[in-house]
Amino acid sequence: MTDIQQTVYVVEDDEAVRDSLELLLKSDGKPVKTYENATAFLGDYSEKMAGCIVLDIRMPGMDGMELQKKLNEKHSILPIIFVTGHGDVPMAVDAMKEGAVDFIQKPYREEALLEKIEAALEQDLEQRKSLDEKQEIIKRIKSLTPREHEIMDRMIAGQANKVIAIELEISQRTVEIHRSRVMHKMGTHSLAHLVRMVLSVKDLIDAR
Amino acid sequence: MTAVVSETEETTVLLVDDNPQNLKVLYETLKDKGYRLLIANDGEKALDLAHRHQPEVILLDIMMPELDGYQVCQRLKADPVTSDSAVVFLSALDDVQAKVKGFSLGGADYISKPFQAQEVIARVKTHARVIRLERELQARNRQLENDQARILNAISEGIYGLDAGGNIVFANPAAALIMRSPVEELIGRNFFKLHMAASGDEFALLPVQATCQQGVAENQRDIALLRADGSSFPAEYRSTPKLEGDTLHGAVVVFQDITTELENEQELDAARELVQEQRDQLAHASRLSTMGEMAAGFAHEVNQPLTAITNYARVAKRMTAKDTLDRELLQETLDKIEAQSHRASEIIRRIRRFMKKPATGKEVLSVPALLEDTRQFAEVDMRNNEGGIEVTVDDSLPEVLADPIQVQQVALNLIRNALESTRGTGSSVPVEVSAALCGSGCVRIEVRDHGTGLPEGAEDKLFLPFYTTKQDGMGIGLSMCRSLIQAQGGDIGFERPEDGGARFYFTLPVAGAVANACRAD
Repeated sequence: MTDIQQTVYVVEDDEAVRDSLELLLKSDGKPVKTYENATAFLGDYSEKMAGCIVLDIRMPGMDGMELQKKLNEKHSILPIIFVTGHGDVPMAVDAMKEGAVDFIQKPYREEALLEKIEAALEQDLEQRKSLDEKQEIIKRIKSLTPREHEIMDRMIAGQANKVIAIELEISQRTVEIHRSRVMHKMGTHSLAHLVRMVLSVKDLIDAR
Repeated sequence: MTAVVSETEETTVLLVDDNPQNLKVLYETLKDKGYRLLIANDGEKALDLAHRHQPEVILLDIMMPELDGYQVCQRLKADPVTSDSAVVFLSALDDVQAKVKGFSLGGADYISKPFQAQEVIARVKTHARVIRLERELQARNRQLENDQARILNAISEGIYGLDAGGNIVFANPAAALIMRSPVEELIGRNFFKLHMAASGDEFALLPVQATCQQGVAENQRDIALLRADGSSFPAEYRSTPKLEGDTLHGAVVVFQDITTELENEQELDAARELVQEQRDQLAHASRLSTMGEMAAGFAHEVNQPLTAITNYARVAKRMTAKDTLDRELLQETLDKIEAQSHRASEIIRRIRRFMKKPATGKEVLSVPALLEDTRQFAEVDMRNNEGGIEVTVDDSLPEVLADPIQVQQVALNLIRNALESTRGTGSSVPVEVSAALCGSGCVRIEVRDHGTGLPEGAEDKLFLPFYTTKQDGMGIGLSMCRSLIQAQGGDIGFERPEDGGARFYFTLPVAGAVANACRAD
């Protein structure tokens, strides 16, 4: 999952705005894909998409807000930059509450838009990186035997080897062996690091 | 008159003879026959009685001392009071000469002495009847003449009888009143000289002349007539030729002073203008309010081309900064900028035209163009209407005569209502706008939606002010629409299609069609 190809997805009903934005972003060297309505984008959507969405908030048929809700239901992490009109600030506020990265008012300055896109792509990249890391951590956790997992939970809770041995009614030596296997499988030498790793994926594990 | 007729219900017969014996015989013969009998034994007495009682029949002896029968008859005929009595001569003279003389003096009949009772009775009866009928006829004639005079006196319009030269031969009291001159001073004057101060060559062209000269009836309004004192007033007149057989005898002119009428009309016109002005102002206020509701939509609509222009301009700048310039691509981008700025100015033009203050007035309009323009207008406001607006218009539709802005205002109002109603049901069926010829002089424009439809009983109230079916409606839109369409000479209404929703329609008169071609009933 390295070297992710990021694309700017433009969802905009107005042909001229869509066309000009595509040219602009391409001239800035960004891969662009355009959709003339929300339904078309939703039909094309997959978890593998990386980059960000530049989404017109006001469109006939399904509008930007509805598309955002649908994407949230699909656990999409694609950052959304809403493009709003003059009177749409209340809508934009709602959109931000629903997790939009940013919004920009039409007509906008190119610099402002590109900045926001850069930031969104960065965020996407980080999210994706951290997501990859988390996936790796989960993979490592999954490689633990049930006994190792149990001992790791007690290590994270701060129990000393002696205490673990008494409570599990095993020898302290056995605890030490399990402990070193956990550290090995989790790829760390530091208990503090282990604690951080496990906590970082706690929400993902809980979600399952 | 009638009273006099009934008074003489009893027929009076005057018997005149110097011979008492003869008088007695006549009296005996005619008594108890239902007559009032008067007797005179000489001519003077006979004349006196006749003058006082106006007998229907006078049996008159010819041979009398002093005044004889012929003389009495002459004097009776000379006196208007007694001239109509039937004089029946009585005489022994039985010659033709005497009879002829009697008839030539106005006698009605002749009875020879010695007379037969039956003959006397029969002749008196016949003559009494003739005279009574004649008197009744005269009485009726007099009554009719009086009635006509009363009518001519009572009528408020002035009436002149003119001869072929335009001289006034008759004037009724109203004519005198209107002209402020006594009837006597009008009679004999020349109508054209007196009331039009005309002379010489101008005569032929004056009003009423065609009637006097060619026997053509005329009817004109707001003609200035002069009074004898030189003051002038606006008049309306009708002149009809006076014809006897084929011969033209001048004209009858019926006229009236229409000063007050014209003033009333002017007031009415002023009131109408005021109403029109207020309707236009209200319509303008209503358009402003619509624009207010659509402001966000318009801002969006104008921002689209502006955004595109900004983007294209930036792209063009990048192109020019490159070492190798792709002229063709640059040209293309600049063309796109131009197109987008036209698009923006078109939107602004449309808004400005719609907001323009007094409506421009009626024009000859193409309905398809107007509806297409209105559709683009309405689409500004159309977010979340998946179905959109479909316009179906036959291109061969004749042009209509109407105020373009006000018609667009009505069409826009109906389309926006239809979109709102469609949104209310979440339907994706488009709003259908259509126009078709209806009859020969009328174009019918329909706006059909598949929305929430209309509540029961809306028929009576929907077009009234302040009635609304909307949560936040004012109830102004449709009553405004009705007022505007009626001002175009059209009609507006709605129907409930069987498969739901609503169908609103309005009609407009085809340019050049007869007036009221589009009015309901």
